[in-house]
Amino acid sequence: MRPLPRVVFVLGKGGVGRSTVAAALASELARRGERTCIFGWTVTDPIAPWFGLPPADLMPRAIAPRLHVANYRLDATLELYFVEHLHLPRFYRRVIDGVHVRKLIQAAPGIAEVFFVGHLWWLTTLAAKEADLHFDRIVVDAPATGHGASLLDMASVLASLRGTGLVGVETERVVGMMADPSWTGAVVVTLAEELSAEETAELVPRVTSRLKRPPLGVFVNRSVARALGDAPEASLAAFAERFSLAAREGVETVITELRSRVVFERALREALGPATDRGVTSLDEQLMAPGPHEPIDVVRGLRDAFGAWLEAP
Amino acid sequence: MSARLHVLLGDGGVGKTTLAAAYALALAARGGRVALLGIDPSHRLQSALGLSLADGTARVASPEPSPPDGELHAALLMPEATLRRWATEGIADAGERERLLHNRLFAVLADRLAATTDVIAAVRIAEWLESDPSLTDFVVDTAPGRNGIEFLRRPTALVDLMHGRLLGWLRRAGEPSPVARRILRGLSHIGGIQMLAELGELAGAVQRPFRRVADRLERAQAALHDPATEILLVTAVREDAVASSHALRAALADAGMAPSAVVVNRVLPAAACDEIARMDETSCDGAAAALARYLRAYAAIEARVEAGARVLAPGVVALAATTGLDGDSRLARLAELGAHLCHALDPQAVRPPASAATRETPHV
Repeated sequence: MRPLPRVVFVLGKGGVGRSTVAAALASELARRGERTCIFGWTVTDPIAPWFGLPPADLMPRAIAPRLHVANYRLDATLELYFVEHLHLPRFYRRVIDGVHVRKLIQAAPGIAEVFFVGHLWWLTTLAAKEADLHFDRIVVDAPATGHGASLLDMASVLASLRGTGLVGVETERVVGMMADPSWTGAVVVTLAEELSAEETAELVPRVTSRLKRPPLGVFVNRSVARALGDAPEASLAAFAERFSLAAREGVETVITELRSRVVFERALREALGPATDRGVTSLDEQLMAPGPHEPIDVVRGLRDAFGAWLEAP
Repeated sequence: MSARLHVLLGDGGVGKTTLAAAYALALAARGGRVALLGIDPSHRLQSALGLSLADGTARVASPEPSPPDGELHAALLMPEATLRRWATEGIADAGERERLLHNRLFAVLADRLAATTDVIAAVRIAEWLESDPSLTDFVVDTAPGRNGIEFLRRPTALVDLMHGRLLGWLRRAGEPSPVARRILRGLSHIGGIQMLAELGELAGAVQRPFRRVADRLERAQAALHDPATEILLVTAVREDAVASSHALRAALADAGMAPSAVVVNRVLPAAACDEIARMDETSCDGAAAALARYLRAYAAIEARVEAGARVLAPGVVALAATTGLDGDSRLARLAELGAHLCHALDPQAVRPPASAATRETPHV
């Protein structure tokens, strides 16, 4: 089994809980003494508000001891790159920030992705010297599947362009980062239900082919296997009978859905266990834990599962 | 009359794809000629319908025993195939066509980037509307979260770029303007002369096919901004639902649009919520206790999500959780779900479905 790389992409279908899982993994790493930054790509950063703070922007915001969160924004990244990193403020204002090039940047697909991985490289290398940002670990809260996985494609996209000049330099850096197993890795989050399971079954081989190594692990979020896996059907039916006829159908629908999660999880384990580095890990449904169930409680509830995962032999 | 657009937006996992399929089936069941386009690059629409789809359209059989006049045609967006088709059908000269298909930037755009989907989706909608003027309804299942919004926003940015001056300079070598020279020289430091030349070549090659594409983009934009267009913000009973719906509504507002209604998917019936609130948890143990805690938490989140939804749009529709959407009778169950959605959104136009699985919140 490989050691945990410096940059961990958290990938998965929309709605499976990527941000929650990223926050729980990062919290656990921070608790163990590592300076950790969650780097997200969302409309508005959801994570800092869980910790009672305003949403984070491109510059990392401290949300707990040794734990930071930052949220990607293309225009701020461009400015940082050209002005602070390359020291070309006039070039930035006249060319990049000019009306014509701005139009190109807004319209051209892929530019945001390229600068996202470029910024990741910077965060793990020069950020210490250039911006006094020191991180041992970056947890990437990636966009949903298709868009998230295309981030892993960026190294080969850049390489296929065979650009010279700045693009050439950046290409070499990003390709090096992605190819190095001690630098970059990915975990996949899924739910035990039909559409997520299907998407995960496609995503795992895609990640493996892009990174030329399997994902570090697959996490089944909102797992009810431990709570309901061994419960006899009769006891669940008896539970539904506590309700009046008017309410029972709704309760039975929920029970049917929860039971199907147990079945899907079993299938996921069989299919994906061998396809990853550290296997399939269940993250218990936190709504079954005694409340409260605010996002911060869910993050704390999941943190221990990552402790065990990090220590696995 | 031109087709009415129905766009389903929402976070991942809230059930957009399932509801888009259900809604389209129901619109067809009430006699419409309906198109259903899945934009999400992960192609989950196939599983929702239990079908294998391609770039071409496929007719979806009606689950009703006696099919009415309605017809449903579904398709998935296949960005690579579509982009190549447009590029080539617009270029008559074989040599010119070859040059474009071998342009490295074009290859990257066509093959690698999920982001191109946004633009292609809008054009694909216009293309379909153009090829089938008898369509009455056009249902669009978008990519999750902010990527769903991109497809509303990026076409405008692209039309802007194509009408802008930069691509013109790139196409004409040895341009005279000193401003242009300075900007191009600056850009050449970034990607190298070779890459800039290829960008110029790409811009030149797509010039002709793009005229048609730009025209379609503009028509897609007009259709999206048509006051008749229905934008449904789909959300689920989830802690993060309210925050992400607000973010989506703000992003919509930036694009000059507003949601027509919010759909809260997979709610518990009111009677169940009441009894769950009164339930005595201490009498349960083991799996039953876990279930009781789960139901109580679910009902509490549901109440918050519904209250939050009411400030987002004039109408809120709560759809009851349903099962059987992944089995053999999935089309029939989907059509039933869709009928509830249709009725809740437009009670005057549709007969109420047999069972009352929706809870409507009065329009504010």
